[in-house]
Amino acid sequence: MFFYYLDLAWRSIKKTPFLSLLMVLAISIGIGITITTLNIYQMASINPAGERSSKLFEVRLWSQGLDTWSRLNQQITYQDGFNLRKSPVPVRQTPMFMTGFAVQTDDPEFTPVLENARVTDRDFFGLFSVPFLYGGAWDKQVDSEPAYQVVISEELNKQVFAGENSVGNTLYLNRKPYQVVGVTKTWNPSPKYYDVNNGAFNDAEKIFVPYSLAPTEEYQSWGNNQSWRNEPMDTYAQRLASEAHWNQYWVELDNPEQIRAYEEWLANYIEQQKLLGRFEMPDAKAEIADVAQWLKVNKVVPEDNKILVGLSALFLIVCLVNMLGLLLAKFLKRAPEIGVRRAIGASQSQIFSQHMVEVGLIGFCGGVLGLLWAWGSLSLLSAHFELEDALTQLGYSMWVLAPSIAIIAALLAGIYPAWRICSTNPSVHLKSQ
Amino acid sequence: MLSMKNISKVFKTDLVETHALRDFNLEVAEGEFVAVTGPSGSGKTTFLNIAGLLEGFTHGDYFLDGVNISNLSDNKSAAIRNEKIGFIFQGFNLIPDLNLAENVEVPLRYRGFNAKERKRRVQKALEQVGLAARMKHLPSQLSGGQQQRVAIARALAGEPRFLLADEPTGNLDSMMARQVMELLEEINKAGTTIIMVTHDAELARRAQRNIQIVDGQVCDFTMYQSGERTIEKPHLVTGSQEPSNQDKVAS
Repeated sequence: MFFYYLDLAWRSIKKTPFLSLLMVLAISIGIGITITTLNIYQMASINPAGERSSKLFEVRLWSQGLDTWSRLNQQITYQDGFNLRKSPVPVRQTPMFMTGFAVQTDDPEFTPVLENARVTDRDFFGLFSVPFLYGGAWDKQVDSEPAYQVVISEELNKQVFAGENSVGNTLYLNRKPYQVVGVTKTWNPSPKYYDVNNGAFNDAEKIFVPYSLAPTEEYQSWGNNQSWRNEPMDTYAQRLASEAHWNQYWVELDNPEQIRAYEEWLANYIEQQKLLGRFEMPDAKAEIADVAQWLKVNKVVPEDNKILVGLSALFLIVCLVNMLGLLLAKFLKRAPEIGVRRAIGASQSQIFSQHMVEVGLIGFCGGVLGLLWAWGSLSLLSAHFELEDALTQLGYSMWVLAPSIAIIAALLAGIYPAWRICSTNPSVHLKSQ
Repeated sequence: MLSMKNISKVFKTDLVETHALRDFNLEVAEGEFVAVTGPSGSGKTTFLNIAGLLEGFTHGDYFLDGVNISNLSDNKSAAIRNEKIGFIFQGFNLIPDLNLAENVEVPLRYRGFNAKERKRRVQKALEQVGLAARMKHLPSQLSGGQQQRVAIARALAGEPRFLLADEPTGNLDSMMARQVMELLEEINKAGTTIIMVTHDAELARRAQRNIQIVDGQVCDFTMYQSGERTIEKPHLVTGSQEPSNQDKVAS
């Protein structure tokens, strides 16, 4: 009977095209706005670490002195980053910070480009499951014995080496030759959870260089820096020894025992640093946060987004109330025909189903149109406002979610009109036809 | 086949009670062709609606094929209407957006027949009324008489045990009316019980039995056999009873 009802629904829509269009428009506008806000909310809420989310931890240290900000900072100092590497507890661990280079090649025709880069250890690639197209990360030895090696992204490899296997080739970063040891496959976690301080929805870096090279090459921080102490930073060595926060630190801990052991190790580290005159606050402490907690702590999804989703849902309800009125008018006009159908054997439930299928079809059309509205409005937001691309891409799930929400919402709006028409007394209309 | 015992039907509003039927008793045997006559407002259509399970009743018992249908659920009532009863209306009541075949097919759809069976029955029913060649036409492309024949085909497609016809010739000219009446007689001869409400005394006389309803009660049974008229069982309203159908202001 479903296909029969579907056929009747389609005939009914064609019979009253203007009224049907009004209903489709009403629901599509509601869906369009809801999906737009929901998409932004969802894209901001994704936990890109997936199953490994509970094994990856960001380390935060309360290293600042007295009379300054009273909270755990999101970043750590270089000296803490350097020291934390000595812990034997984590399965993997890496300090990191953001920098950037002017990129050149041996090809004199190549126009130099400026690119963001990440200064990090080898473990970065294992920690964050970075896939490789060619080669791999530099050797573990490079983390302690600096070597001019670099991992580049697939995109940069296409730009610089025409997409060929460039492992072994030379790339010039700030005019210094680096040997390419690996090319990552397209990898762009969104949000960029490993460094939410420097644009949570920015693209992943295209260049990765060893952390051990930082003191030699004096890589400048291209990210946010926080400092609480007025101290000289005329030289790079002074900067490395300063209390300025510009590094991030991630560890991989596989089980609760490891987590406890690492927390204990961090507590001991703080005590040790206190003896050296650092970590002046009496309640100085260390905390680790897994990916989900880390995204929450950093309010990667702003509260405003939730409010917007709520408001758009309210707007959808207003659209549905309009639709309900239109449906009621449409269905009740059809009462004589329904009287005939009831007389010749249709039960109330069959008449109800027939109308619910029609409402569902209208909802589906509204959902598809709403999806187009959402796509258009996201493109508009992307073009006219400084929203990150990651937030304005229509998620795949929305292609299913939009028609589903539209159909469910339309069915809810259609219950009353369908019930009214199926419960009218057929005999009233049989004489009047 | 149809047995109504002491059926009464009262329509109530806040201020008014209207007795459409009261102490209504009727027996219709299988294969009968019964004409129901009576003045306007006498309760003929109410009787037909109750007989066709389109309306409930206030008091009494109604047996159809031996089944008491007093308290049937909507689904069961609909199933009985679909399987056992065929309706023919004065205004034809065809669905204007559906072609003739689709109109005739409607009750078969609700009955759950497969496409092949539906097609067979539609073809047969339309052939029976002489409109098989026009099955793709819309109702608006037919004359009134043809539309009524389609309505009869729709009623016949489900092979019902009895037909309820509410002034089936009321909207037709005399020639068309005669054709429709002949069709109904043929159907009756084939074994289908017919109850026909009509104002037309001439048509009523062609039925085997004529029942006159006055003020919501059966007041006269008349048998027509070979053109002879016999009043078999007068059943007049007694003086002690108030005229039914008269509005009473509720206290």
